[in-house]
Amino acid sequence: MKTKHIRIAIALFCLLGLLLSLVMPASAVPVFARKYGFDCTMCHSNFPRLNDFGQRYRANGYQLPGREHEDKTILESPTPLALRTSAGYNYDVFTNSNDPDTREFQINGLDLLSAGLLYRDIGYLLVYPPHIEGSRGVIEQGGTIEMANLMFSHLFKSTWLNLRLGRFEPAYVPFSVKRSLTASPYEIYNYGPWQGWFKLSETQEGMELTGYSRCGLNYAVGAVNGAGTSYQGKTTADFYARLSKVIGAGEGQTAGQKLGIMAYSGRSYPTVLVAEGPFEPPLIWFGWESQTEVEAITEWKQYSFYRLGADASLNYKWLNLALQYIYGNDSPEIWGSGDADISFWGGFAELSVLPMTRCVGFARFDHVNAPGISDYNVDRITVGARCYPVDNLALHLEYSRRTMKMGDNLDDLIEDFATLRLDFAF
Amino acid sequence: MRAYLKCFSLLTCAVMLGLAQNARAGDRFLANTALPILSVPADNPQTDAKIRLGQQLYFDTRLSADNTISCATCHAPETGWANHGKTDTGIKGQVGGRNSGTIIDAGYMKFQFWDGRAGTLEEQALGPIHNPIEMGETLDNVVLKLNAIPGYKRQFNEVFGTDVNTDGIAKAIAAFERTIVSGPAPFDRYLQGDPSAMTPAAVRGMKIFNGKGHCTPCHSGPTFSDQGFHNLGVGYKDGKFADVGRYEVTKADKDMGAFKTPGLRNVDETNPYLHDGTEATLEDVINLYDRGGVPNPNLDRLMLPLHLTAAEKTDLVEFLKSLSGPVPAISAPSLPPSEEN
Repeated sequence: MKTKHIRIAIALFCLLGLLLSLVMPASAVPVFARKYGFDCTMCHSNFPRLNDFGQRYRANGYQLPGREHEDKTILESPTPLALRTSAGYNYDVFTNSNDPDTREFQINGLDLLSAGLLYRDIGYLLVYPPHIEGSRGVIEQGGTIEMANLMFSHLFKSTWLNLRLGRFEPAYVPFSVKRSLTASPYEIYNYGPWQGWFKLSETQEGMELTGYSRCGLNYAVGAVNGAGTSYQGKTTADFYARLSKVIGAGEGQTAGQKLGIMAYSGRSYPTVLVAEGPFEPPLIWFGWESQTEVEAITEWKQYSFYRLGADASLNYKWLNLALQYIYGNDSPEIWGSGDADISFWGGFAELSVLPMTRCVGFARFDHVNAPGISDYNVDRITVGARCYPVDNLALHLEYSRRTMKMGDNLDDLIEDFATLRLDFAF
Repeated sequence: MRAYLKCFSLLTCAVMLGLAQNARAGDRFLANTALPILSVPADNPQTDAKIRLGQQLYFDTRLSADNTISCATCHAPETGWANHGKTDTGIKGQVGGRNSGTIIDAGYMKFQFWDGRAGTLEEQALGPIHNPIEMGETLDNVVLKLNAIPGYKRQFNEVFGTDVNTDGIAKAIAAFERTIVSGPAPFDRYLQGDPSAMTPAAVRGMKIFNGKGHCTPCHSGPTFSDQGFHNLGVGYKDGKFADVGRYEVTKADKDMGAFKTPGLRNVDETNPYLHDGTEATLEDVINLYDRGGVPNPNLDRLMLPLHLTAAEKTDLVEFLKSLSGPVPAISAPSLPPSEEN
């Protein structure tokens, strides 16, 4: 089997070598590049990360700033469809854990994207990962609507009033998990109860009002249903606000120094009140047959939590340093333990180096200082690089080690993750 | 093993499809850049006689108050139909505030002058004549002077059926200026399928032009101009603009410090650059853009620092040089004498 893997690895490298040797004067083409005929690097410093131009374009409701009057709608543009997927070798091995190891070539899902302008100042974005049955070499993917939102820009002709409705990536996550350079997740964003269903950085349904000024001040306030932070996606009414300021020219992506703060106040429907242990499938474990019976038993009470955060994106020449700090406070019921509020903090520091457009290197350290009830601190170190033979195709190499401290009497849980993959959109 | 092979076959097909799509997107951007047939106003059709008359007027210093300045003084064929001075120098050595833009492809532009105060070449043609700093002559006096020159009086009657008048002067000069069109550049030949027409550096520069350099949002279309007005912050100092630009015409706050996007064909011949001629070379202009322009309250939101490398700047210059094509070889014609024997 190892011989087969080596052969496939050689084949992969040959393919990459071929791609790297190609001189491609043309541009990349996911939806917006196709619409304008622009090169990908117009909006992306390194796909999928946005550069300052791309950030302004996004904030402007998918219209070129200052050119809104002549931007074409989807009816006047090429079919607004694009695909993104990645495939390659994944090595994911756990130490002192029962989690299954992975050592194989895999296709890591598929996204269908559509975006554009419905009318002047009315943009939309749709991201649809279709259902894919898991099979050898293909990671199972549940079909869902990852994002589907409308953006109404410049309400009352003001840059201070832009409204996004639907399911979107909320602004309280300053470093997009959808456009991250790394395959390894940011630990702090989704840190929560141990069963792993708490996903604050997931896309949310609701509305978000954003605005920006010429002096670099940006704000966002939103009301969302908190589907990512309740077990089985039951909804609540959560609120958040974010304020950021860019010092100097730019948007803090590759130029300018961006400083931000955020607050999120949410409520969660935990199920840990009545359940302990594995949840899949949850109903069988309880011996009940229907969701109705479970709801009757658990009463689905809401419990509050909040997050406070500060972040910075600092740029110097071809270096970007992203810093994130978040303090979390949860009602004890969310964790199903104790009487006092559960508090923790954590964050990350990520340095990315863009010595040239064709290559980016990155290194990140994540840390979560766990609440006293668990004391399972989490550390993650991630290093890697992405090289771009063409703008919409990245050769992605990454290694990440996640360590969860289990206390004095237990060995640490360690996950070693490495991947060599092609990440591309077309 | 078969499953892996299937996966990679699919992957390879997808990558190749993506590359093919790449080429199409590039083609679309490029396809919009060929110069179309120049449209001519219905009330001023091109005729050989009118163009010859316009050429004489263009080169004739007698249109100025002291008979020293002609259109060609500031828009000379040997200097890319522009002027290598930072700004104009008019009659009596008076120095103007703006750089002389080239008239190459001016017929394609929706607006004339850096602030766009004229919509057509006909409107533009008379402006410098009665500008007190440039040619400093009154239009009435120009008409009198030209009517006193038998050669002009005869030609005006042949072309327009009237004696010399301001309308005819404007139309004749405009007709001549419409002949100053750039011919196929290496860039155009490259588009037509000759890969050797552009150097590898220019090809790389083209990609930067349409990507990391953020040039195409403004410098697009056949002339590489969006025919719009943008604030780069040029001339902004101590909280104010030395020249308010388009604001002078519209009085709209959004136009404060904004100037017309110039075309880029034959741009390497028309130095220095920008409305005040403050950037001497193409490299200097690129450096200005690389810095994100000059910070000011009305800076165009398309202006952002670019972080171009030295090699990328060099490639970009090479691409800009590939936009130069031949222009009509025209020199000063013999002019009608003031008095015929």
